[in-house]
Amino acid sequence: MLQYLVILLDDTSVAYCHADNPLKERNLMPIETLKKGILFGMKQNLMIQYVFPNYALPEEYASVIESIDNVKIYPVGCKPVTGIESENEADVEVANSIPEKVETKNLVLRLTFCEMLIQKDEIAKLFANGRRVNLCITDVEKFTDEQIDAYRQVLDEWSKALLELYKQGQSPQFNLLTDRMMLEKMHNCEAGISNITLAPNGKFYLCPAFYYDERMQVFNQMNHHKPSSDTSVGDLEKGLDIHNLQLLQLDHAPLCRKCDAYHCRRCVWLNRKMTWDINTPSRQQCVMAHLERNASRCLLNDIRNIGEFMPNIEIKEINYLDPFEVRKEF
Amino acid sequence: MDLDTAKLAVDYILSTPDLFTEEEVGWAFIGGEPLLEIDLIDQICDYIKIEMFRLNHRWFNSYLISISTNGINYSDKKVQNFIEKNKKHLSIGITIDGTEKKHDLNRVYKFTEKGSYKDVVKNIPLWQEQFPDSSTKVTVSSDDIPYIKESVIHIFELGINSIYINVVFENVWKDGDDIIFEQQLTDLADYIIDNNLYYTKTCSFFDEKIGKPLNNDHNNNWCGSGRMLSIDAAGNFYPCTRFAQYSLRDKETWIIGNVKDGIDKNKLRPFLTLDRTTQSPEECIKCEVASGCAWCQGENFDAAETHTVFQRATAICKMHKARVRANNYYWNKLYRKLELEDLREQYEANKREVKPEIC
Repeated sequence: MLQYLVILLDDTSVAYCHADNPLKERNLMPIETLKKGILFGMKQNLMIQYVFPNYALPEEYASVIESIDNVKIYPVGCKPVTGIESENEADVEVANSIPEKVETKNLVLRLTFCEMLIQKDEIAKLFANGRRVNLCITDVEKFTDEQIDAYRQVLDEWSKALLELYKQGQSPQFNLLTDRMMLEKMHNCEAGISNITLAPNGKFYLCPAFYYDERMQVFNQMNHHKPSSDTSVGDLEKGLDIHNLQLLQLDHAPLCRKCDAYHCRRCVWLNRKMTWDINTPSRQQCVMAHLERNASRCLLNDIRNIGEFMPNIEIKEINYLDPFEVRKEF
Repeated sequence: MDLDTAKLAVDYILSTPDLFTEEEVGWAFIGGEPLLEIDLIDQICDYIKIEMFRLNHRWFNSYLISISTNGINYSDKKVQNFIEKNKKHLSIGITIDGTEKKHDLNRVYKFTEKGSYKDVVKNIPLWQEQFPDSSTKVTVSSDDIPYIKESVIHIFELGINSIYINVVFENVWKDGDDIIFEQQLTDLADYIIDNNLYYTKTCSFFDEKIGKPLNNDHNNNWCGSGRMLSIDAAGNFYPCTRFAQYSLRDKETWIIGNVKDGIDKNKLRPFLTLDRTTQSPEECIKCEVASGCAWCQGENFDAAETHTVFQRATAICKMHKARVRANNYYWNKLYRKLELEDLREQYEANKREVKPEIC
């Protein structure tokens, strides 16, 4: 069931997930489109999530933006000025490097795998102070089996840092390690299922990455028999039109529906890019998620040595990193 | 395909045991018309055998070379030499569409437009002598339906005892095709039963296992795509030939690698995780006559609304249901006859198995 409408206010709105935003020229969403998008969200009972660019929007946008309850996603250090100064705890700042200062409770940190390894200690320092850190690897497709040990090691180091915070009575939140400890079922990105993206052109996309692909004319066939770069799944005039919607759902993803890496993003854009089928994850996505899952299991056990913690959660020991390897038993 | 490309393909396959884990292997040559390139096939097969021996490969004595041909050049000296040289590990299938009239409708020489039937049929006795249990495969499209009965009977009369026959998966069916199809199969059933052919002949349209509901435990994929590497002349790899551009109507090709770079395993994952229920619409899952209803992954992909192999094309639905009705008629009529003759037990103990038409 749709719950969120992500509105890209500009072509240069900040990328906040796996896909980089390759669009460099400003292209602000027309204010009438914005109003229609908000109306769509209201009628569909969707929470609006605005994604801001790194420049100040024209004044007249402020009142429109604030005409509905919303969450703001914006580049770190570029807090939008909309006339409402009170902080929304759900607002998200996005950084492509270790930020000097974070104003919100939620930070999305987008790094390549190598950047992540190099800056692992600086990343660990962000865990404190009750802030939620979402680390997003921007080059998942380049991850190789030769990097498994390196990733395992850095997850282990971060686990130790998190454990220290737990010992101090804090409850740090770090997506790669603490989310799985809290989950009893899949909690993924759910693009097209729980959220949909409205782009400045007034069309809907499963997520911003599909819009980037369309604008960059990356070949895709979301709705079309003939080769086309159109990746939209509807527009504000005709509404949503998601073909093969069932393939976005967990029960139509053979590798995922029995998997217990519950925190995995299950990024359908990465699926489409790497395996060419939207319901099938790549080895990279599976292996990384399972390394995180296994590290979460160890962290959970370590925390329980301190005291009772999430007694209902059980993360079983498994002997594989990629469900594909055990798909017959899976 | 040039020999160097073929060698690279063989090298890759033989040196990648983690991907090719089966105990046995089939090396299949298809065309165009493969026997036109019998010298090349011979060189490739020699290379395969030498390399399997050199590598002490487990497939060295567990391989089958298969060739699907139109049969015109079957008796040529070079072809016969190849057969003699490889006969212990060789399977050759000759395709005959049916009667001379039916066969020559589609199978004509390029420049003269003369039908090839006579040139094929003269080679059938030699083929049957060399491959005694050989069968033929027939594919039926809309225009072929009125000729099914006479074609099957004709192929039986040529001495071919097993016919693997299926309707095309593409959406070519016209209103009323299913009715004519059902009538053709019913008439064919009468002919087979009335002439006591059921002891020695099989036509895969008639299969006791089809036409039953399937529960979710029957969840295997029908099609073998992804489990049979296909290689084109340029050395590109496909999950099956139906994913090569020349086979696709509406979609871009699905290349999973090439002889130089190998297979991109991520591109194979969708194929190796396919199951029946995930790709089937609710109508198919609840279908009362689901068993035996086939699909082609390439056609599924080609006809899909999005870029996926997980959307089952259902263009053959009414044809499958017509087949099931005729099939039910066949088995009811046959068993009643056998019961009245007190021969059912004997028949069931000795009956010829129909292999499923999995490609």
